Amino acid sequence: MAATTTNPTYKLDLTSSPHVHSRWSTKQAMWMVVFALIPSIISAVVFFGFYQLLIIAVSVGFAVGTEAAIKAIRKRPITIMDGSGIITGLLLALILPPNFNLAFTAIGSVVAIGIGKEIFGGLGYNIFNPALVGRAFLQASFPVPMTTWTAPNYTVDAVTTATPLSAFKFDKVAADLSDLFIGNIGGSTGETSSIAVLIGGIVLIGAGVVNWRVPVSMIAGILVFGGIFYFIDPAAYPNPVFHLFAGGFLFGALFMATDWVTSPLTSKGMIIYGLGIALVLVIIRLFGGLPEGVMYAILFMNSFVPLINRYNRPRVFGEVTK
Amino acid sequence: MKTVIHMLITLTIIGVISGALLSQLSGWAAPKIAAHRKAETEKAIFLVQPNADSYEKIETVDFELYKVFDENKEAIGYALPYEGNGFQGKIRLMVGVKYDLNELVGLEVLEQVETPGLGTKVTEEPFTSQFNKLIADPNVEWVKGAEPSNPNEIQTITGATISSKAIVQIVNQGLDKLRASLKTGGEL
Amino acid sequence: MSKKATLAREYVKGLWEQNAVFRQVLGMCPTLAVTVSAINGIAMALATTFVLVFSSVIISSIRKLIPSQVRIASYIVVIATFVTIVDLVMKAQFPELSKALGPYIPLIVVNCLILGRQEAFSSKNPVFRSFLDALGMGTGFLVALFLLGGIREIFGNRTLLGLQILPNFYEPWLVMILPAGAFLTLGLMMGFFNTMSQRKKRLEHQTIIQQHLKPQKPALASDGEAN
Repeated sequence: MAATTTNPTYKLDLTSSPHVHSRWSTKQAMWMVVFALIPSIISAVVFFGFYQLLIIAVSVGFAVGTEAAIKAIRKRPITIMDGSGIITGLLLALILPPNFNLAFTAIGSVVAIGIGKEIFGGLGYNIFNPALVGRAFLQASFPVPMTTWTAPNYTVDAVTTATPLSAFKFDKVAADLSDLFIGNIGGSTGETSSIAVLIGGIVLIGAGVVNWRVPVSMIAGILVFGGIFYFIDPAAYPNPVFHLFAGGFLFGALFMATDWVTSPLTSKGMIIYGLGIALVLVIIRLFGGLPEGVMYAILFMNSFVPLINRYNRPRVFGEVTK
Repeated sequence: MKTVIHMLITLTIIGVISGALLSQLSGWAAPKIAAHRKAETEKAIFLVQPNADSYEKIETVDFELYKVFDENKEAIGYALPYEGNGFQGKIRLMVGVKYDLNELVGLEVLEQVETPGLGTKVTEEPFTSQFNKLIADPNVEWVKGAEPSNPNEIQTITGATISSKAIVQIVNQGLDKLRASLKTGGEL
Repeated sequence: MSKKATLAREYVKGLWEQNAVFRQVLGMCPTLAVTVSAINGIAMALATTFVLVFSSVIISSIRKLIPSQVRIASYIVVIATFVTIVDLVMKAQFPELSKALGPYIPLIVVNCLILGRQEAFSSKNPVFRSFLDALGMGTGFLVALFLLGGIREIFGNRTLLGLQILPNFYEPWLVMILPAGAFLTLGLMMGFFNTMSQRKKRLEHQTIIQQHLKPQKPALASDGEAN
């Protein structure tokens, strides 16, 4: 299921393992993801205005351009039409704050493709989710713009610009759950509307493009781990349902953590991975210095994927346990 | 046996030469290093107490504290070095406070390991100058994203809320300690 | 290395061919930790070079007197002595710099570059050669730390050696002066230098192949293995 690279010398397609059978080719699946992101793009425009489309255009444009440029420098076939660069650009744009600076968006996009993906050898070889690498770079480079949240269009209280998570963390104010669900809250453009994210995610799972085990184990994990703390002290720790709908959790669970290349291969591995993300996330949100940690939780667990794969290797047919 | 003795002798000679060299050097460097430290503290005291003319270290308390005097040898306040936890590690401050302990005169960050370019803004203007003439009664408070409306409030730095709050907290803790020891020990 | 090498060679090899940072990947702790600015990198490299040169000279001159069983212990004592000298002198004469470099000056003791050179070179070579080798390694370290610190300072702070290089509208990339920036910059630089030297090697190989194939049929294209 990994990328197809064409060796320039021989007319033979070489793909990196594992070779998993799927209903969809890589290219088809990538376009399905783009399609599934449409509800989130719409919610971004509805709540934060048309400027967000410009951010998306810049992000996608630079992502595809960087990929083409690097392939050209390395004298490899230009594979931009497989859609993976477009997805990285789209995902990055949707996890940036509303009305984000376009120059910074471009930098993030170049870093996402260049350092997040191509430096490892291109699609199929990267360890970390490229869009999250780009965002992490921006977060570390431009912390002030990255945490400047514009209030959504239909807000009652126009002054507040804090995200629900930071409002809870620093001021112990819990947001209204229906606002969280619809997306009328401060936050990254594509992440605020849980319903839009869910529609896209269900389409992806239904079509068999992504495996349900990762998002489901993440959701179960956050309800359980968040629930334990809520049970210990409901005043100090938020309701697990709040955890679920706040911040970028659902977006991360359905679009980021499910990335084929950077998630485990076996069913058991996927569940371990999903639970791991949920646990790290709850720890960051409740005890870390930052209000939100989906990005770091996923990147952190990305680094464990090779290890998870190693210890969950499917047994070879006929193999005898010692 | 011969090798053992050889080993012992070699190591002993190297150790003795190195020790002798270093003790000589240390004799030269130690007073200079001490002088630098003293100059640094002195500089910080006069920065947070701009009207001060002289100071003396108070020995009756179990923490570091300096009482400062104006040119007429009248006590005008204290300079209190105090430390606490910042975003990533210890922050060490020098707090200048008036004699009645209710108004601050200045603040200087002596040591910190905050995020460069972000948390480190707490060491710079305009953040530090907010503590000039700040009322610390009953405590220093912080506001986020708005102009301070009360005389005991400072505004946190956007994006460095935790570092800013840490400074406020350290100032408050230091003042509390100072007040507590004033109560028990009377006039310092 | 071998006795045949010219004296100039002993110095030059440390600059690039066996560069401590980019080729041998030694001394990573100070390399990554202190290079937030060019001046820090230079100061660190100078301190390291001082320790390296003096330790090498001393150890090379007493190399025949040290029993091999205690050689490492002896090297460490010699190195630690010079590190302490640097530390004390810096604290006394350059308190600002000493504060900026913090615990990394005392940590020169455990820089593998220094102990590595003693074990690999000074303990087997005469004094002058050891001196040149240490000086070369130190210069290479200086070049590497200056490059790394310079790049990080330019992108992370707009300045080089305190002078503003990039215009004000350029928003500094704070990540460059954070630890992550050190790893990113070092990794990209190593990747770049590796690609360059590989390309050079490949071209050399190709010319050799071409020369040998000339009398026969046209050369086979050997572009297939790009990596």
